Amino acid sequence: MKFTISREAFLKPLVLVAGVVERRQTLPVLANILVVVEGDQLTLTGTDLEVELVGRVSLDQAGEDGSVTIPARKLMDICKSLPDHAMIEVAQTDEHVLVRSARSRFKLSTLPAADFPNVEDSPESFEFEVPQMALKQLVDQTGFAMAQQDVRYYLNGMLFEIKDAQLRTVATDGHRLATSCMPVGLPDQAAQQLIVPRKGVLELARLMTEEDGTVRLVIGASHIRAFTNEFIFTSKLVDGKFPDYERVLPRNGDKIVLVDRLAMRGVLSRAAILSNEKYRGVRMTVSDTNLQVVANNPEQEEAEESLMVDYQGAQIEIGFNVGYVLDVLNVLHSDQVKMTLSDSNSSALLADGGNGAAQYVIMPMRL
Amino acid sequence: MLSSVPVDRKIIHCDCDCFYAAVEMRDQPSYHHRPIAIGGPANSRGVIATCNYPAREFGVHSAMSSAQALRACPQLLILPSRMALYKSVSAQIMAIFRRYSDCIEPLSLDEAFVDVTESILCGGSATRIAQRIRAEVAAEVGITISAGVAPNKFIAKVASDWRKPNGLFVVKPEEVDAFSAQLAVKKIPGIGPVNAAKLAAENIHICADLRVFTALELEHKFGRLGQSLALRRFGLDERPVQTCRIRKSVSVENTYDQDLVTLEDCAQALQPLYEQLMLRWQQLSAQYAVAGVVVKLKFADFTQLTREYATNDIELDLFQPLLKQAFSSGNRQQQKRGVRLLGLGLKLQAPITQQQLRLF
Repeated sequence: MKFTISREAFLKPLVLVAGVVERRQTLPVLANILVVVEGDQLTLTGTDLEVELVGRVSLDQAGEDGSVTIPARKLMDICKSLPDHAMIEVAQTDEHVLVRSARSRFKLSTLPAADFPNVEDSPESFEFEVPQMALKQLVDQTGFAMAQQDVRYYLNGMLFEIKDAQLRTVATDGHRLATSCMPVGLPDQAAQQLIVPRKGVLELARLMTEEDGTVRLVIGASHIRAFTNEFIFTSKLVDGKFPDYERVLPRNGDKIVLVDRLAMRGVLSRAAILSNEKYRGVRMTVSDTNLQVVANNPEQEEAEESLMVDYQGAQIEIGFNVGYVLDVLNVLHSDQVKMTLSDSNSSALLADGGNGAAQYVIMPMRL
Repeated sequence: MLSSVPVDRKIIHCDCDCFYAAVEMRDQPSYHHRPIAIGGPANSRGVIATCNYPAREFGVHSAMSSAQALRACPQLLILPSRMALYKSVSAQIMAIFRRYSDCIEPLSLDEAFVDVTESILCGGSATRIAQRIRAEVAAEVGITISAGVAPNKFIAKVASDWRKPNGLFVVKPEEVDAFSAQLAVKKIPGIGPVNAAKLAAENIHICADLRVFTALELEHKFGRLGQSLALRRFGLDERPVQTCRIRKSVSVENTYDQDLVTLEDCAQALQPLYEQLMLRWQQLSAQYAVAGVVVKLKFADFTQLTREYATNDIELDLFQPLLKQAFSSGNRQQQKRGVRLLGLGLKLQAPITQQQLRLF
């Protein structure tokens, strides 16, 4: 196996594919990426057995066919640190590969391509195509609410629901929930739910880079596969029952508060400085046209801020983890944000001031 | 330089002799000279809670399964426990302690530390207070209680065991050093059979043997236990007698008549236990916050495993993965072990002033 490629053409797929490789592996070969040359096609594959990413590049000149696995992180670090526009030659010699560029030469160890594992396949049931930017937005709007390393393993992922010609994503950690949806051309599809693990969600979003490109999603019994021009991404699905998001969306909120998103974000990030470091609670008091935010910490320090809001009605006092509210304000893009409240023990519904599809539910704190 | 001269404390550790059995013998004098035990019946896998001294001569001891106890002592009479009665007797005994001090730390129904440092009764003599307590318990309650008198909790507890049953032993402040030097290391709380064997392998049998090490060396050898060993080896213990106990956990458990063989059996047993735990938790939820959840499994061979997870939430779904982990660690490869006991617990912490509410 041998090929020559420019640093820039090599780095883009290499960085994404190496990103899938875990720092700590259960098998030595999982620290490597699989490199395959067939004519002028170069294919790079990285996997952690849960998520697999295949990147393809066309070579300017056909190389020597062959396949081998190379330590991912070292190869990436070498290529990254070579000068811009360097030409890189990678050639296999017995047990090693030689990476050469101008007057630099690196000898890397290899493991046989035959040892490289495949993510197991399962029968495919249906597929659809969506614009890459739309899918990226859907994931970005909701991904922050996924749990991390929760024993309720099904929360460490994102629910994809295909229903009524819509693709909906839902993420929750039990304290807050984020959901959004977009239309997909699958009118007669029976409702379907799948949970993509956290890592799969994050890697999938990283691949969505082509402004006008589309991605084809193929859903199998136990995996999801995404095809773009340059990549084939596969993730196993989480086998579990995701909480019923419809039950969690509050329906009886009668106090509607419209706030300026950036102004509120400023108020909350300042108040956060003096909130309890562990629980991060802030107290909000909404009265006619005014929102007051107060934060205290165990040292008895206090922050107090007020903000003009669009609200008429009874006064309500409610506590929140300031981080949960800031997360929402950070992923919305509209000028105004709509908060729907009912009482200080019931969840709040946040959405953009217009007609965006994203909805956010935050449970309050008892302060 | 100013220095405050520390006042020697006067601590009495009172410990009833085979408490449940003593109450039963009091009410039924014919039990005095035959082996009896309180516990669950042997045919439903009961366990011995307490037994009297005639039973102990046969090798019966608490925490032994009733079936095993009957094999060791076929004439053993196993009585069911009458917890309500024991509780009322315990209240009577605690009331006697309270005549001598308000600073009382109950360790269980039949055992307490009484700090009489401030007491002016009996001429301020802790030894005479201990004698009076023993006499009053015998006369008014009708059971015997052993006592240890010492300047701290550790030595007082060791001393109450020194002349058991129905005994009193006093370690004066000036005797602590010599007394503790000859004390077997296994008398120190925290030194169980494993650590005792580890020490014996290094030819360390009594506290004097521990005194050759520096405090740092002890900490290297024993971690956190080393810090307490550094004091206990000289018979020192500065812990105060704590009148209000801060709970660190709450738990419920059940021993099943028949082993739970599969994970599904265990999962089904989880729900009713969880409901019991919630009942217990409701009584505590005003004073405490949850710091974690714990699942305990005891297998048919009496080995036990616990699995915990740090969380501020309580819900059944948090216990299930722990149960699965514990069950599969206990049932690796060829080894198939049924589960005889399942327990659920909550780790508690000081109440959180700020409590995040949950969506589901």
